[in-house]
Amino acid sequence: MSEITEAYLPEFIITIFIIFNLIASLFFSTYLYKLSKWVTLLGIVLAIAATFYLQIEPEAIVFNGAFLTNIYTVFFKILILIAGFFLTLLSRNMIREKRDRAFEYFSVFLSGILFAMCTVSSIDFVSLFVSLEALGLSCYLMLTLNKKTDAKQLTFGYLVQNAVVSTLFLAGLSFIYGISAQFSFENISLFFVNSGMTSGQPHVLLTFSLILIICTILFKLGLVPFSSWLPDTFEGASYPIGAYMSSIPVLAGFGILSRILMTFLPYTVTMKIILASIAVITIIFGSLSAIRQDSLKRLMAYSMSVNSGIVLLGLCVFSVYSLSGVLFYLFCYLFANIGAWAAVILLYNSSKLENINDLKGLIYHRPYYVIAFTVVLIALAGLAPTSGFVAKMYIFSAVARSGFIFLPFLLLAMLASVIMIYGYWRIIRAMFRRVETNIEIDNRVISSKFILYACAFATVFIFLFADRLVRLCQLVAYYM
Amino acid sequence: MNCLSLIWLIFLPVIAAIVIMFPEFSNHQVKVRRFAKWFAGFHFIYSLLFLAFFDSGLYGMSFEKELTFLGASWLKSLGISAKFAVDGIALLMVVLSTFVVFITLFMSKMHIRSKHKLYYSMVFLLESAILGTFCAKDMFVFFILWELTLIPLYFLVSQWGNSEARRAVMKFTVASFITNMFLFFGMLILYYYNFAISNVLTANIESLNMDETVFPLWFQISVFVSFFIGFVLRVMLVPFHNWYPDIQNKAATPVNILIAGLIPITGVYALIRFNMQLFPEIFKIFAPVLLVWGLVNIVYGAALSFVQYDIKKMISYANIVSLGFVTVGLACLNKTGFDGAVFNAVAGAIVFSALYCVISSVQFRTKTTCITALGGLGQVMPKCMYTALIICFGAIGVPFLIMFTPRLMILTGAMLSNLEQQLLVKVAAIIGLLVLVLSAGFIMYFFYKVFCSVLLDSWKKIKDLSVQETSILASLCLLIVYFGINPMSIIQIYRSVSSIILDVLQV
Repeated sequence: MSEITEAYLPEFIITIFIIFNLIASLFFSTYLYKLSKWVTLLGIVLAIAATFYLQIEPEAIVFNGAFLTNIYTVFFKILILIAGFFLTLLSRNMIREKRDRAFEYFSVFLSGILFAMCTVSSIDFVSLFVSLEALGLSCYLMLTLNKKTDAKQLTFGYLVQNAVVSTLFLAGLSFIYGISAQFSFENISLFFVNSGMTSGQPHVLLTFSLILIICTILFKLGLVPFSSWLPDTFEGASYPIGAYMSSIPVLAGFGILSRILMTFLPYTVTMKIILASIAVITIIFGSLSAIRQDSLKRLMAYSMSVNSGIVLLGLCVFSVYSLSGVLFYLFCYLFANIGAWAAVILLYNSSKLENINDLKGLIYHRPYYVIAFTVVLIALAGLAPTSGFVAKMYIFSAVARSGFIFLPFLLLAMLASVIMIYGYWRIIRAMFRRVETNIEIDNRVISSKFILYACAFATVFIFLFADRLVRLCQLVAYYM
Repeated sequence: MNCLSLIWLIFLPVIAAIVIMFPEFSNHQVKVRRFAKWFAGFHFIYSLLFLAFFDSGLYGMSFEKELTFLGASWLKSLGISAKFAVDGIALLMVVLSTFVVFITLFMSKMHIRSKHKLYYSMVFLLESAILGTFCAKDMFVFFILWELTLIPLYFLVSQWGNSEARRAVMKFTVASFITNMFLFFGMLILYYYNFAISNVLTANIESLNMDETVFPLWFQISVFVSFFIGFVLRVMLVPFHNWYPDIQNKAATPVNILIAGLIPITGVYALIRFNMQLFPEIFKIFAPVLLVWGLVNIVYGAALSFVQYDIKKMISYANIVSLGFVTVGLACLNKTGFDGAVFNAVAGAIVFSALYCVISSVQFRTKTTCITALGGLGQVMPKCMYTALIICFGAIGVPFLIMFTPRLMILTGAMLSNLEQQLLVKVAAIIGLLVLVLSAGFIMYFFYKVFCSVLLDSWKKIKDLSVQETSILASLCLLIVYFGINPMSIIQIYRSVSSIILDVLQV
């Protein structure tokens, strides 16, 4: 028990609430469906509170070296839980439509959060594999909840591709285990350092199997060779699930990806170049695809892909400075992304609008809504009066610091991000069109509105008071 | 002077914009306009106070002030702080922009017929961003404000223009974002290399010490070029000038005044502040290129100005010619040329916004800007004709009017220049002189076609200028005459700055 309270308390609390939701789904589904939301919120708030009781200095390791708790994992756990808090509120209409399955939905929802937290804190390939797989399955279970007829067909691709990349992970893992007979990150890296000293160069098989393992994580992040699932899956998903898919797996994926790269990257230099090229290609491909989309959901899918590309570019030039930039970017991305999704969800729930062109003339009906939506879109695009600019500047300056090899990648990424600015700009332009319209925004959906305005405020607030957050991120990155 | 704070000067317009945008603020157009005018007048006087208390003999920046958030500077851990300060050139540009905004608001009444709150708040946001670019001491703060000018500009052009205006401004915005990325790239690598060499993480322009013994030449050249790409769109050197006639042709007339008065001077200022001050050695290398480029600008702009059918486009090409002169003046690398270039930028902003004011009055009455449809308006609008005559003479460079001194200084500077390519400089000066005559040709052609030739029947009933328009145009004429007679009143504001810059640059 002491082990749990020292290092594993938030996960434990979330587990309790998963079980509670599962039991509750048997008894009071249809009538007390609203209770499910509040119970889940309570669980998440308790878990956030519990993170402050964790022993983070020095780090605590639980379950025989499977999971680690230090300030770095706690940072990611808090991010994931904040995202979970917002997403629970965004699920309002989802559970209204599916009253009988509300508790069930939230138990899957919470297990996704639980395994995302486990993914971030794992320091062992086996626990990492289990957590990632469980996270992917939770996402898939939620994807199938959509009522639309073609939803299952569209989202099935996600399941299949997820299975394929999981086998890649297992293949890489078995190679590594075959050589070193170890599972934990630290021991494996030590083993390869020692063997590298004798032969004088990094082990080829290690690089190969690492690439296989990283592929799984790249899949979760929607980066280029594995991004084909993005638009279809998002189209088939309900809106809150889209918001979920674009925030929780991204946070979890980058949390673990930076740990893997930090442990293994110094020995395999060529991989930096590979990852940088993946990042740049993702940004270019994602933004070129995004500017042709008419559906807001598909645009947001590519927006997630592009933002992941920018973060990956910051990650692959590995240094403490760039890691703190990545943490800062993820923090800002969280608010901007959820804010944009909240705006999209609000629009869909009120008048079933899905396309960019439907937004025309909205400014004359709902000025506050349009301004808040514009602010979060500007933050996603990385323009000035919002946190997105500082985040982008931080990552790009980290890339500029890390040597001449990365400068062409940097320039390409910067130029490609302009294309994505145009992608977001299309939405803003449509909203400011001078057209008669009768779009209604439902005034009763207070929770979604609250999230939209809170996120818009947060992006501007972070921009103004960025210094504190930058210092926090530097501290976290230093203690990783 | 404690009450003179640059922070207030820069961010007061933002507060005004927020006040106007507030839904509780009256929706009635007269009230909005009155508030905007009073505010702009107050703001102009406030900026004049800075000029009054400015010590032009001082070397370096004055009125330094830092924007802090709850007592902490903005991004201290990354070496970025929101510090603002002005020197002579910056202060001149600041006062000029507040003045241009002030006269624009007076000319807006006739053309802006809808969405008044959005319009006036966007004008103030644009003003704030432009003032910020002039005052920012930090590269990244400069960059933020430089980019922020684009958003109000986009709305100003697109919301009060037709679909062609929207397309033109979209092109400009996207092109600006792309060139800005080069600028940002240059800033990032400069920021990092300064850190690598001096071990101080800073983005402050004054503490970036570009010593050519420390920074390798190719590095300086690449940063210089990326900065130059960032600024060239607003300096409007030839292949990058296309946006300007397009937007000016399609946008609403008060927006024309704003763009002509505010955007080119930001480009010229940035060119001086970054490319000349940070990289003097590289600027020497690139000076002949700039000289030829400016010359091409002059000839090309003059040639295209002749063949336009639209008076707005005609005047915008004349503006491009004027910016070509500025570039030639900067490339001369001597004090005469430099002083002339800065003066020319300022004079150009005044004269061309005045010309757009004239066009605004004409367009309001005739509803057209096509040169063949106009004619003989002088018979029905004598007041407009006489003020337009002075303004046109001012734009040509008639002696004792505003444009004469800078043009003379630029051409003298080119003649006296010690650049290695002696022949090139002399040829440049002679071609410039010839184009001066040409520019007299096309501006007088504009004046003749609009005001002097045969009066068409359809224009016989139009009325002369109202009191407000007369007073605005007359005050502009007064300025044009005053600075023509007394050019030193402008030049002495920035004489210490130009001597600092030219001490390093002079060949």
